[in-house]
Amino acid sequence: MKRIRVIPALLIQDGGLVKSVKFKDHKYVGDPINAVKIFNEKEVDEIVVLDISASLEKRGPRIAEIKEIASEAFMPLGYGGGITRLSEIEELITAGVEKVILNSSAFENPTLINDAAKYVGSQSIVASVDVKKNMWGKYRVFIKNGAKNTDIDPVEFARKMEDAGAGELLLNAIDRDGTFGGYDETLIRSVSSAVNIPVVAIGGAATINDFVKAVGAGASAVSAGSMFVFQLPHRAVLISYPRQQELEEKLFSYIN
Amino acid sequence: MVLDKTDPSYRRCTITVMDNIADPDITFDEKGICNYYYDYKEAEKRVLTGAAGEQKLAELSAAIRKQGQGKKYDCLIGLSGGVDSTYVAYLVKQLGLRPLAVHLDNGWNSELAVKNIENIINKLNIDLYTLVVNWQEFRDIQLSYIKASVVDIEVVSDHAIFATMYKLAKEQDIGYIISGTNIVTEHIMPSNWLYKKMDFANLEDIHDKYGKVKLKTYPIFDFKRYVYYSAVLKLTPISILDYVPYIKKDVKEFIKRELDWRDYGGKHYESIFTKFYQAYILPEKFKIDKRKAHLSTLICSGQISREEALNELELPLYSEQDLRQDKEYVLKKLGLSVTEFDSIMRASPRRHEEFKSDTKLKRNYMTLLQKTQGLRKIFK
Repeated sequence: MKRIRVIPALLIQDGGLVKSVKFKDHKYVGDPINAVKIFNEKEVDEIVVLDISASLEKRGPRIAEIKEIASEAFMPLGYGGGITRLSEIEELITAGVEKVILNSSAFENPTLINDAAKYVGSQSIVASVDVKKNMWGKYRVFIKNGAKNTDIDPVEFARKMEDAGAGELLLNAIDRDGTFGGYDETLIRSVSSAVNIPVVAIGGAATINDFVKAVGAGASAVSAGSMFVFQLPHRAVLISYPRQQELEEKLFSYIN
Repeated sequence: MVLDKTDPSYRRCTITVMDNIADPDITFDEKGICNYYYDYKEAEKRVLTGAAGEQKLAELSAAIRKQGQGKKYDCLIGLSGGVDSTYVAYLVKQLGLRPLAVHLDNGWNSELAVKNIENIINKLNIDLYTLVVNWQEFRDIQLSYIKASVVDIEVVSDHAIFATMYKLAKEQDIGYIISGTNIVTEHIMPSNWLYKKMDFANLEDIHDKYGKVKLKTYPIFDFKRYVYYSAVLKLTPISILDYVPYIKKDVKEFIKRELDWRDYGGKHYESIFTKFYQAYILPEKFKIDKRKAHLSTLICSGQISREEALNELELPLYSEQDLRQDKEYVLKKLGLSVTEFDSIMRASPRRHEEFKSDTKLKRNYMTLLQKTQGLRKIFK
């Protein structure tokens, strides 16, 4: 039996918590501080907070807001959104962020990954890889919260990130985001077999069984948004997280 | 005004634990029994238990089922995660009804509350609808109430939940709202501890004077809607708990066993704000200890002894550590500094009546309805 990290991922837009479907149709789901407080009391392994409007608005991270969130998170906190400079990474770490997540700037400026890894260590640098199939069914890496196609294959990009010094990949299947349709196992398999760093799968989880499948496909850890925020059938907002016992029975016990 | 028990004019009821600190207008008879006791005894007549309760419930559920034929849901219930709403959820399922549960997320949910709700809907197989109030707007209204120094800050939540229930009932074409309000555990409540939850004019005026954020999504229940829902849809919430034996202690044990419900101590402590409001703001600023009313009700309905109630009143409302933690969190969420908050706490309370109200409008409307009743019958 092996422990697998199960990580809630929260999206922030204009200071509020939102949830998307395929990176679109963002629905307001509440106040980030209270959500993080509830997840904290649920003793989640780690939490990821992504400010999805930062890059689009061409601004840096809102440190004061992140500090308030971090003060409710006693578990490791990952933050991504709008980071373009090493000084911002320094500020985030000081604010209480354990893992810095880079997406657009990882593509536009891979040396930032390198510099950041030297500064805080690879284990704190996560490259977020948002992937969508193009018209011909080929996986492509997207940046700017899914708005811009880089036309690069995710396997190639993942290797590049590993070489640059990223300690972890957050692999997001845009087409599965918010669909409750399960992870993209093909994508997980191809990327995780190409790199040696941990791959965190995100996009599509509906049940613990989906976590098992993602790990089977090569993911080191799993992340989910909608599954921990919504109750079906009405997508009623209600934060939940499986009990440790449930994770042991339905997830850890399947992993060697 | 009597402020503490050492005051020579201090008086406490000989049956309940209500006193002239809780309500300066309290009256006592020659035996030292207060008006709240007699008021309770009067209300108690509406409680039906045993065969009468069963019959009432059978009639009600038959009517609800009939009207709900062919629809996905036949009734709406509110779900806060507290004892009352949890037991209502259990009962409606027992009665064979098909409820849609409505939950208000105002940004103050505790982990206990959301976990309780999760357990309830999963164990009872009930669909949930959550109203998430925009936190920037909600915070702005809450702050307005705090700054206005009016007593019933909970209007901000209660108004939103009522407005949502009515709106949803209409949208989903659901004919009945079933509420957890009940006589045997919560009837006694001095009128000056609360304000009318449905008075949107009051809310709007308080917010106009103290707020900054424009209200775009906050659910409102104004006079126009009042007329529509009360006269056209004729939606009146049913207090189902008045028709079953409702012994709080036993019900808690029952829902713990059956629904994995967890207790958070204190009535309505499912919300962090409500806890802070009832255990700090109310007693400190308004000299109101809500436990007096709750415990008095339980005495009147024979659920605890006066002795037990008096002992409980001796316990502190907050442990020092909890108060420090909650205060820090509440102020952080509201964006208030300690200095700002403490100065608001020192400001004198003001009455809701100093702000606008739609009460008169509603009263005139009701009078009009009564006067024209005969006339309207002819045209029906």
